Amino acid sequence: MSTAIASTAIALRGIRKAYGRTTALDGLELKVAEGEFFCLLGPSGAGKTTTLKTIAGLEQPDAGTVELDGKDMRGVEPYDRGVAMCFESYALYPHKSAYDNLASPLRSPRHRLPAAKARERIGEIAELLGISALLDRPVGQLSNGQRQRVALGRVLVRPARAFLLDEPLSHLDAKLRQQMRAELKAIGAVQRTTTLYVTHDSVEALALGDRIGVIRDGRIVQTGTREEIWYRPYDTEVARAFGRPRINLLPGTMTPDRGFRSPDGKVELPMLSDTTPGTDVLIGVRPRDLTLGEGAGHQLTGTVYVTEVLGRSVEVTVRLGEQHVSLVAPRGEVTALRPDDPVRLSVRPENLLLFEADRPERPGRRIDHE
Amino acid sequence: MTMRKRLLGWLADAALILYFLFALFPIAWMVILSLKPTNELFSTYFSFSPTLDGYRTVLGDSEGIPFVRFFVNSLVVSLGAVALSLLVGLPAAYASARWRFKGSENLMFTLLSFRFAPELTVIIPLFVLYQKLGLFDTYVGMVWVLQLVTLPLTVWIMRSYFADLTPELEQAALLDGYTRKQAFVRVALPLVKPGVAAVSLLAFIFAWNNFVFPLILTSNEAQTVTVGALSFLGGDRPKYNLTAAAALVSVVPPLLLALTIQRYLVRGLSFGAVKS
Repeated sequence: MSTAIASTAIALRGIRKAYGRTTALDGLELKVAEGEFFCLLGPSGAGKTTTLKTIAGLEQPDAGTVELDGKDMRGVEPYDRGVAMCFESYALYPHKSAYDNLASPLRSPRHRLPAAKARERIGEIAELLGISALLDRPVGQLSNGQRQRVALGRVLVRPARAFLLDEPLSHLDAKLRQQMRAELKAIGAVQRTTTLYVTHDSVEALALGDRIGVIRDGRIVQTGTREEIWYRPYDTEVARAFGRPRINLLPGTMTPDRGFRSPDGKVELPMLSDTTPGTDVLIGVRPRDLTLGEGAGHQLTGTVYVTEVLGRSVEVTVRLGEQHVSLVAPRGEVTALRPDDPVRLSVRPENLLLFEADRPERPGRRIDHE
Repeated sequence: MTMRKRLLGWLADAALILYFLFALFPIAWMVILSLKPTNELFSTYFSFSPTLDGYRTVLGDSEGIPFVRFFVNSLVVSLGAVALSLLVGLPAAYASARWRFKGSENLMFTLLSFRFAPELTVIIPLFVLYQKLGLFDTYVGMVWVLQLVTLPLTVWIMRSYFADLTPELEQAALLDGYTRKQAFVRVALPLVKPGVAAVSLLAFIFAWNNFVFPLILTSNEAQTVTVGALSFLGGDRPKYNLTAAAALVSVVPPLLLALTIQRYLVRGLSFGAVKS
């Protein structure tokens, strides 16, 4: 990505926002480059929507600055910021038809188009979103998925400095969501416009984001490309957030010979880390990085605990001493496996992640190792 | 079992009919009274020779009492009061629903307290003020003083309607490129139409029925039906039939208004309950 040379479209610095005693944003820092598609991922209540509303000028931060295209937005009204936002609640005008909802920005003093041009533009967008047949209906008669597409259309129909999309696909049914996810980034307006996309779905974030920001408790925990987030997660919680089945995290301690040892001694792996011997740590390995049978890298032995068919592949849970790890294997390779069968596993050293042990106050951070 | 249920049903019907008669009796009595000729006014039996003379007298401005003018005055003053209350109250209600600041609740409560105070406590100073300001017995004066009645009602009811609307609708309008004023007029207002209908009717009825303010603050030019209808009781002999006829005529506008906006009213009163 050319993030290094592109200019910064959206910059948030030290944003704080509290509602009464609840802190929504706690010193949030965020930079989105011009033209970038940035995904903000986090659980509900993490501050995703507040972040978008702060950028849009709908919420005033208690501290910190919002900059759009390098200009401080303090005191700039939402209608002068030139950003378009798709609300998670849709916020469609219930007394108007789908067409009039889409036309609303194009009839406003700031984005006005002649009626004929507006009709043309709305037609294009409606076609793109598959809602052409619904334009005459009042929004009250639309399903949630249809409303969500109208809400998205109201954003895409107009030029904007940035698109702020708050879970814009969350209410579509699974098939349509997958299709829209594929199409969204191909839409010309989205390609040209800086987009900040909020989601709680890690698959969506990985599929769409040029870069991904992970938000938790009102702070950005990590930003990076999908590769950075995937291979170098900041802590165990970021590691857990991406990938299904979830990453395996095995507890153990560091040994004096720079290795890892599980409490029952059944799992021993050389880690080549400078962490003090005796430190409680977690070894992370993703289910798709564990190979059944002999292979390159470290070898482990265990017994089959349970197998679960996921379609063309199978999730196999293997008992390693007191621990369970899951791995994903092609169906053909594992049809013969029965519970309690002994199995060998292999894992490449570069696919092992090392974390501090989780503590009550914070998830364990990743530790570098060779 | 079904027998018992049916019996209970009958009993309930009978009770309702009894209550219905009880509730309607004063109105029926008024209707009868208004149809009686003057010489049969004090008869207590129900047979009399009905006549519309009472209505003719009242509406014909005879007896030296300009009832039609009182009627028009009532219309002008009540509609004016409602219009002014909407003009001032809708933005006020919107602001108070959306913008909480230090003391905003106190401000709202102060407004409401205008409704607690008995009108008689303020009427004497008002009378003096109105005399000095030249507002005594004028439309402007009446519309103004009726704000004590209609404005708190408008603001408080409309405030809850606006509070029921999610602010995200106006926020969407702001991001569509509309100013705050345009967002209010184009998005928020159309959505509280049922509330506006309900509150207009209530405010109109309260304004129309108000007695104390026109009694003290008008004499002739701006006098309303509530006070005017009593004029028929003056003189050497109280003319109950004319008072009854005048009272019944003055029931017509609120009744008509209620019937015309009934459609919105039911929606208005159930608005909060059915919001998706």
